[in-house]
Amino acid sequence: MITIYNLSKTYNSNTVLNINGLSIPKGQSFGLVGNNGAGKTTLFSLLLDLINPTTGYIKSNNIAVHECEDWKPFTSAFIDESFLIGYLTAEEYFYFIGELRGVSKKEVDALLATFEDFFHGEILEQKKYLRDMSKGNQKKAGIVATFIGNPKVLILDEPFANLDPTTQFRLKKIIKELTEKRDVTVLISSHDLLHVTEVCERIVVLNKGEVVKDLATSEATLKELEAYFAG
Amino acid sequence: MVKKFLSLQWKQLKRSPAFEQKLITKIFMALFALYFIACFSFMGIAAYFIIKKEGDGLDPLFVVNSALIYYFIVDLLIRFFMQKLPVLDIKPLLVLPIKRRISINFLLAKGLVSFFNLLPLFFYIPFTIVLLIEGYDVFGVTLWFMSMLAITCTVNFINFLINKNNLYFVVIVGVLATFIGLAYYGYFDAAPYVGSFLNGIYTNYYYALLPFGLLALFYYINYNFLRKDFYLDGSIKKKVQEVKTTELTFLDRFGKVAPFLKNDIKMIWRNKRPKQVVFISILFVGYGLIFFTQSVYDNQLWIKPFIAMFITGGFLMTFGQNVPSWDSEYYNLMMSQNIKYRTYLESKWYLMVVATFISFILAIPYVYFGMDILYFVIAGACFNIGLNSFVVLWGGVFNKTAIPLNEKAKAFSNTQAFNASMLLIALPKLLLPIVIFLIPYLITNDLYTGVICLGASGVVGILFKKPIFKFIEKQYQKQKYATVAAYKKKN
Repeated sequence: MITIYNLSKTYNSNTVLNINGLSIPKGQSFGLVGNNGAGKTTLFSLLLDLINPTTGYIKSNNIAVHECEDWKPFTSAFIDESFLIGYLTAEEYFYFIGELRGVSKKEVDALLATFEDFFHGEILEQKKYLRDMSKGNQKKAGIVATFIGNPKVLILDEPFANLDPTTQFRLKKIIKELTEKRDVTVLISSHDLLHVTEVCERIVVLNKGEVVKDLATSEATLKELEAYFAG
Repeated sequence: MVKKFLSLQWKQLKRSPAFEQKLITKIFMALFALYFIACFSFMGIAAYFIIKKEGDGLDPLFVVNSALIYYFIVDLLIRFFMQKLPVLDIKPLLVLPIKRRISINFLLAKGLVSFFNLLPLFFYIPFTIVLLIEGYDVFGVTLWFMSMLAITCTVNFINFLINKNNLYFVVIVGVLATFIGLAYYGYFDAAPYVGSFLNGIYTNYYYALLPFGLLALFYYINYNFLRKDFYLDGSIKKKVQEVKTTELTFLDRFGKVAPFLKNDIKMIWRNKRPKQVVFISILFVGYGLIFFTQSVYDNQLWIKPFIAMFITGGFLMTFGQNVPSWDSEYYNLMMSQNIKYRTYLESKWYLMVVATFISFILAIPYVYFGMDILYFVIAGACFNIGLNSFVVLWGGVFNKTAIPLNEKAKAFSNTQAFNASMLLIALPKLLLPIVIFLIPYLITNDLYTGVICLGASGVVGILFKKPIFKFIEKQYQKQKYATVAAYKKKN
């Protein structure tokens, strides 16, 4: 689904990302871990064509993302608050995303109904604009919005951060269900090794912009990751 | 401490996205500033001799004094719209061991270092030197000079207040408007009194106490105003707004661009800054009243297409020229969601067209001043819709300043997105209608040919909408990464 060719990003003379080749097959749940500055968000921004690669390119479903906009219909992402529209209520925001992705109001409502648990009564019918919600609730709204319109590629940057423990468990369940059908390619970055090993079948460790580990998740993965980051 | 503040400020300035503009823009800005400096300096040197020669034996200093009040008012007006107010991000300073007194004094002092305060010096200094050479009383002239500085600073602080506080705005504008109204209708003209008062500073020294007193007073008011708000729940706290939802389904007929239009209307309606801007754009419709009511302009043909453009172009000038910064807070979403750049730009264009059309409807009563004026307004509207809208959109490519949507002029946040570089981009918009009208008019010597050409320019623009959009889209695409990066740096 996603193939990375000779990708690098350099600011002035500082290389923040350098990936020779990486291929993510369709339906994989792909986890990205690494310390601050490892290049996780840079990689996601490159995937979304928000920054310009210095060398190389990314192909998503055989479309070079920096050349053409055709990857947009099947891609959705939540990186940070700049993916939210602060002056809308949560419902209005979901409907807006729905309209962009050709999903009717009814269908959006039906989808939202399945997330009632996840929302925990704090998102819908709140008479509050998104900008006035807490960081955690903003994140909930942003994450759920990415599920609208059956995207084939889903990119979530640190989805577990800022969420309360209950919501973290629910989110893990949602992501697992999503990837069970092997239809949606999910890319997740996280600082929480436990969460990411639970949710992702493949984990890539970035360090200073380079891939240092590429693991198929197994019983031993968490230990291995812990050993790597502790040392 | 002050040194630390200064270095912080210098870094903020140097690292702001607006400063990292293209060299050519910087050069233009420098020329712009130099032009004003040259004008002021020339006036400062020449004023004395011109008045001496032409002034029927009046004292040059007294003549200048009698005119200064008008300068002060214009100065305040220009400052209100153009002067950037000092910004100091206080949140991190609150918990640091810095005395509030120092932070606030620094904030206020920083506001004095501004082009608007330095410019008058280029008049006052040469003028004062000329007076001294011509043998005026040294002490009196020096006192007069110091008083002028005090008044300049006072105007600076008044502007600060009326920008930040609605009560002061109403009071001060009210007082000014009353005096201007009284003078205009011939009841009472305060200007000569101000003039003779300024003369008084030179003749009776103690008059100088008043300008310095005023300066101290306004400094004090500003200080107290900021001091009071220097808390987390003071000026920084966000107010939770009550939600009013609307469906706006009638906009669905616009098809692909409908979701954006609906969104933009909510954006305007629910955020302070765009609301302010739309309000100003409505005022633009009344712009013609200033000119069409005065017979002086009857024969000034070149000004008419210009005004016609302004009457219907308020929204273009205020809202349009800040596209795409209105979406800066969620620009990443816009750039990665299922949106074609083209559709996004087109939606903005429709919004401008609709708003221009509404302004046109509002402007129809201008027919009162004659059919010719209405023709001009129609031609101006056509030009705005068909050509100017594209120029405005194109200008948006260079917009690199994020707009915090829900922040009106507040004490500790950046307020003016409207700055001199924006004015520079605005220049072609202002000159185009005059050129398009004047050239055919001068060739044929027929008023209507000029008007028709102005209107036709809009029609031609519409006909070439597709290739024009293609061009504009390409420009936006080219700047996309730079824009995304710039919007990341919030003010």
